[in-house]
Amino acid sequence: MALDPFLDGGPADDAPLEPLACGRDAATAWDRAEAGTVPDEHERGCPHCTAVRADAAGLNSLVHRMAAEDIEPPPSVMERVMGAVMSELRPHDLLLLESPHGTNRLGRPAAAAVLRGVVDRMDGLRARSCRIEQVPDRFDADVAITVTARFGVDLASVTARVRQMVIAAGEQALGVPVRRVDISVVDIWGDG
Amino acid sequence: MQGYAEPAPVSAAVPPGPNLDDLTLVVRAQEGDVRAFETLARRHQAALYRLAVRVMGDHAEAEDALQEALLDAWRRIDRFRGDSAFSTWMYRVVTNRCLAMLRKRRPLPVEDVEDGRPAPDSPERSAEAGASMAALGTALQGLSDDLRICWVLREMKGLGYTEIAEITGASEDAVRGRIHRARTRLAEVMRAWR
Repeated sequence: MALDPFLDGGPADDAPLEPLACGRDAATAWDRAEAGTVPDEHERGCPHCTAVRADAAGLNSLVHRMAAEDIEPPPSVMERVMGAVMSELRPHDLLLLESPHGTNRLGRPAAAAVLRGVVDRMDGLRARSCRIEQVPDRFDADVAITVTARFGVDLASVTARVRQMVIAAGEQALGVPVRRVDISVVDIWGDG
Repeated sequence: MQGYAEPAPVSAAVPPGPNLDDLTLVVRAQEGDVRAFETLARRHQAALYRLAVRVMGDHAEAEDALQEALLDAWRRIDRFRGDSAFSTWMYRVVTNRCLAMLRKRRPLPVEDVEDGRPAPDSPERSAEAGASMAALGTALQGLSDDLRICWVLREMKGLGYTEIAEITGASEDAVRGRIHRARTRLAEVMRAWR
């Protein structure tokens, strides 16, 4: 169509599509052909619809081949991304640890990762969010954790166990006494 | 001076495994878990790279677009609200990066683009599958950016009109129109290869 600028794009690209000369919607006709829909009675006899179906068929196998091409990014991309991510990390989000010889600090995301790991190792449970808030002017902390559970696990006993494990890990692995653990089960997943 | 230790690297955490769903990894990344973000990025990078390659038409530029898009994603992960799939959100981030790079590109003179289209005698010269694929690639690069992006999301990624509208910010009708115009243009060019 003369109105379609091939190179420039612009508003004409977004003008309403004109129907085919037979009155059918051109995009729908193409979609039907591409989806492999058997032509209806009109499409079998209509030269306009037949032309659209021929174009769609002509392009189809090539388009599929192109879509199936296995192109992988080189490993250097992820290496550069993670290098930049690490260099941008600001170690300001810290928990304070009690020590007789001064104050120790522990990155909050690292501490949260440890507590999530404890939950992840429990059968049928995965940790999602883990927020650790230290009680103001004290060293002990409140933990709010959200978990997803496999369908069928006994939620009452499992949450009790999560609480116990989080308290133990907080104190033993992190050195952060845990005052309170709030647990929300936010999703249930199946095995398959 | 009271000595205080560097934040301790704690290695007791289980590395986020491939069995964690996207949403779990996103929430963890939003809370500053770099390894969760890395798992997420590794999971999606190939699909995002293929999108960038088809949109940019150049591997080196696609690598740059992917790299910048993944950094954009890390820096803006807080803005992901979970209203759509993470992959949809990432397609939008990559598409925006590609568009920004395309706008910075010096526009190709029209005659160069015309030269890139298959010469009328080329089907006779080479009937190999690779050549027709290359011709399709060239024709794709000849489309306007908006047409090409919508076409790639539809035909290379298999997305529906609604999702493409969400990614590109265009109306669903506009997306339908763009995809159809792209298809028609490509079919026109490729008729010589049939």
